[in-house]
Amino acid sequence: MLSYIFRRVLQSVLVLLVVGLVAFAMFRFVGDPIDNMLGQERTMEDVERLREQLGLDQPFAVQYWRFLEGAVQGNFGISYRQGRPVAEIIAERLPATLELAAVSGFFALVVGIGLGVFTAIRRDGFASNAIMTLSLIGVSLPTFLIGILLIYLFSVELGWLPSFGRGEVVQLGGWSTGFLTQSGLLALILPSITLGLYQMTLIMRLVRSEMLEVLRQDYIRFARARGLKEKAVNFRHALKNTLVPVITVTGLQLGSIIAFAIITETVFQWPGVGLLFINAIQFVDIPVMAAYLMLISVMFVAINLAVDLLYVAIDPRLRSEGGTS
Amino acid sequence: MKRALILTATALCVGSAATAETFRWASTTDPQTMDPHAVSSAPVLGFLNNVYEGLVRRGRDMSVEPALATGWEPIGEGEGWRFTLRQGVTFHDGSAFNAEDVIFSYERAASEESDVRSWFAAVSDVVAVDDYTVDILTTSPQPIFPDSIANWMIMDSGWAEANGAERPARDEENYATRNANGTAAFMLSERQPDLQTTLVPFDGWWGEVEHNVTEAIFTPIQNSATAVAALLSGEVDMINPVPVQDAERVDAADGVTVIRGIEARVIMLGFAHDHEALRNGEPNPFGDVRVRQAVAHAVNVPAILQTIMRGSAEEASQLVSPAMRGYSDANADRPALDLEAARALLAEAGYADGFGFDLSCPNDRYLNDEAVCQAIVAMLAQIGLEVTLDSMPVSNYWPELRADNFDMYLLGWSPGTFDAEHPIRFLVHTSGERLGTWNFGGYSNPRIDEMLPMIQSEIDDGARQAMLDEAAGIIQDDMVYVPMYVQPLLWGTGEGVSLTQRPDNFFILRWVTMN
Repeated sequence: MLSYIFRRVLQSVLVLLVVGLVAFAMFRFVGDPIDNMLGQERTMEDVERLREQLGLDQPFAVQYWRFLEGAVQGNFGISYRQGRPVAEIIAERLPATLELAAVSGFFALVVGIGLGVFTAIRRDGFASNAIMTLSLIGVSLPTFLIGILLIYLFSVELGWLPSFGRGEVVQLGGWSTGFLTQSGLLALILPSITLGLYQMTLIMRLVRSEMLEVLRQDYIRFARARGLKEKAVNFRHALKNTLVPVITVTGLQLGSIIAFAIITETVFQWPGVGLLFINAIQFVDIPVMAAYLMLISVMFVAINLAVDLLYVAIDPRLRSEGGTS
Repeated sequence: MKRALILTATALCVGSAATAETFRWASTTDPQTMDPHAVSSAPVLGFLNNVYEGLVRRGRDMSVEPALATGWEPIGEGEGWRFTLRQGVTFHDGSAFNAEDVIFSYERAASEESDVRSWFAAVSDVVAVDDYTVDILTTSPQPIFPDSIANWMIMDSGWAEANGAERPARDEENYATRNANGTAAFMLSERQPDLQTTLVPFDGWWGEVEHNVTEAIFTPIQNSATAVAALLSGEVDMINPVPVQDAERVDAADGVTVIRGIEARVIMLGFAHDHEALRNGEPNPFGDVRVRQAVAHAVNVPAILQTIMRGSAEEASQLVSPAMRGYSDANADRPALDLEAARALLAEAGYADGFGFDLSCPNDRYLNDEAVCQAIVAMLAQIGLEVTLDSMPVSNYWPELRADNFDMYLLGWSPGTFDAEHPIRFLVHTSGERLGTWNFGGYSNPRIDEMLPMIQSEIDDGARQAMLDEAAGIIQDDMVYVPMYVQPLLWGTGEGVSLTQRPDNFFILRWVTMN
């Protein structure tokens, strides 16, 4: 068991190194930060001096090595655009993204399971057909468009909800939260729906098909034959048995909610790490781009590692290969 | 019950009236620093004009007017300029303004760490004659020096020294990056980079207050559709810019107005003058003036303005717009659309059957830049030129141009000094270390190179204009660039907001009134 864990951790570190390498190899195609850092009246001498100062005249392998050297010491360098330590900027922006991801994940789970159960029980009803059709539209419209449509409906036409930003936030230690103010909560609604819509449809469809499967099982028929109430059959017996795959999928999707928050954050000017990354690309802010990509890949690698380890804990067959544990 | 309701309603009205003077505005780019000498970009300098002041400033019509200096006069025969400083001015922290701050700000702005040091290229020394008189000495006569330092902002020497911000910080932060201590009408009260920046009026300001803003909050909103929505829903009182394609719709909405103007930026086509070969390996035809003229005659600028710019922009005939100092009235006509003439010129140059080349174009730098380039591709096809469009983000664009990897390219130029000398210095003078730094095509003309220092140091306005006219004539005859149009300015304002739009796209808060 131990050697298996050790091997998996080693693999994960390797994946991270490769991600970093690919990222640094690609930065040269994103453009040259120098033009963004100097005004139009700069001399060629200024350009060369700054390039040297930032180490951009070095081959990308050297730049990558320097980044790694700093990163293992927790130093991700200094943002070209803001002139502040990248770690500080990311720590400042991360709460916004995590809160948004948590709320949209919650929304997707609750509404997804609810609608999934509903459409499975009333599989031929008008309402469930309508929901299924609408959900197709929901998946096929791009996030950007959904966000803009929601903004025009709820902010411009109805004036109920803010069109951008995070509202008022409260600082709790190093964490800025929007959960404690009214404007903060209102500001969460539209972006969470926009971000969670796809996951919601996914969960709904998953629950529905699992439910339909389970409802055909013998024990459900027996439960009905025993004269149990419809509610008890549906929720106590059927739903419980559909949840295992739903939980697995939801866990894995949480990673992509955080990673795909970029578009939602741009549409709603949501001050999270996704918006920071978009800014960084436009400015060719290499330290910020590198740190963000590493952060996201660490997250994915960690989730996958946890899942793999859980499988090992559950499934004894995976253990035998490792030998003596 | 009814009375109670009415009372609540009145209270609500009063409540909203009291907060009505909080002015909120949004723009695409956050000023990346609060340090007036660290970054020379329009978002930074435009924003900081509300917080810091220079010796001189620009008025509503861009004319130079007294600010921290009450007057100025040349010293001797062009040895420099003497500025008389305004007395009784205090910085936001209460310390007094005097000659020491001017000298400190000169040393800071002209230092190697500064991004605005080119403004002081001709300055040899700055001397305090007394507490309220400063001599700026120059190596050669500098007739437009006062015009060129309107954005040179004065910082308090004591404040900077006490906080360890004696030099601008470019690739790291110092105290002046997020704090400010200027003399202007507004003080920085809160700065959250990329999120929100709040200004409040400075009670001790020396000038006459025209605004009625009690608090001003700036938020960057990158996505233009979101910004428009925020304006329409009343969450912000002003946005800059309004996307060209949305302008009519926004203008038609209730209570919202689009303010249209033209910027100082001229959009033009540039050529690879000195390349041996095109990117496709064929010999380079753009060294021939007839080929460049043919391009000029084939580009239908009025059509571009009408369709892509929706009537918001103006045609340009030279490298600066008519609003700039030194504009040449003698060269006000741009080449007419004349496909016959264009074909004849090509034939004369030996390209009767046309040729193929690449047009390099940024896709996120100027208003609708890529669409303009696509239109140009189609227009040039009519005279037999087979153009391949190569468009890319601006971060990739400048390195490509610097590496001479282009045949023809799109460029926009906004003269920082608002003077016709500026583009000659950067775009037309033979390319070198300090001059011609944006002359990617490698055009070189000894007469232009000879005239530039003469223009820079000519004190007599008439003689200076004569040289600028000659230069504009040469540039037009040689078709060094094909100037096309002056980029439009489109700002959107909410109900009851009145303000002044200045052609440099700077938003000046002290001209805002809200009803």
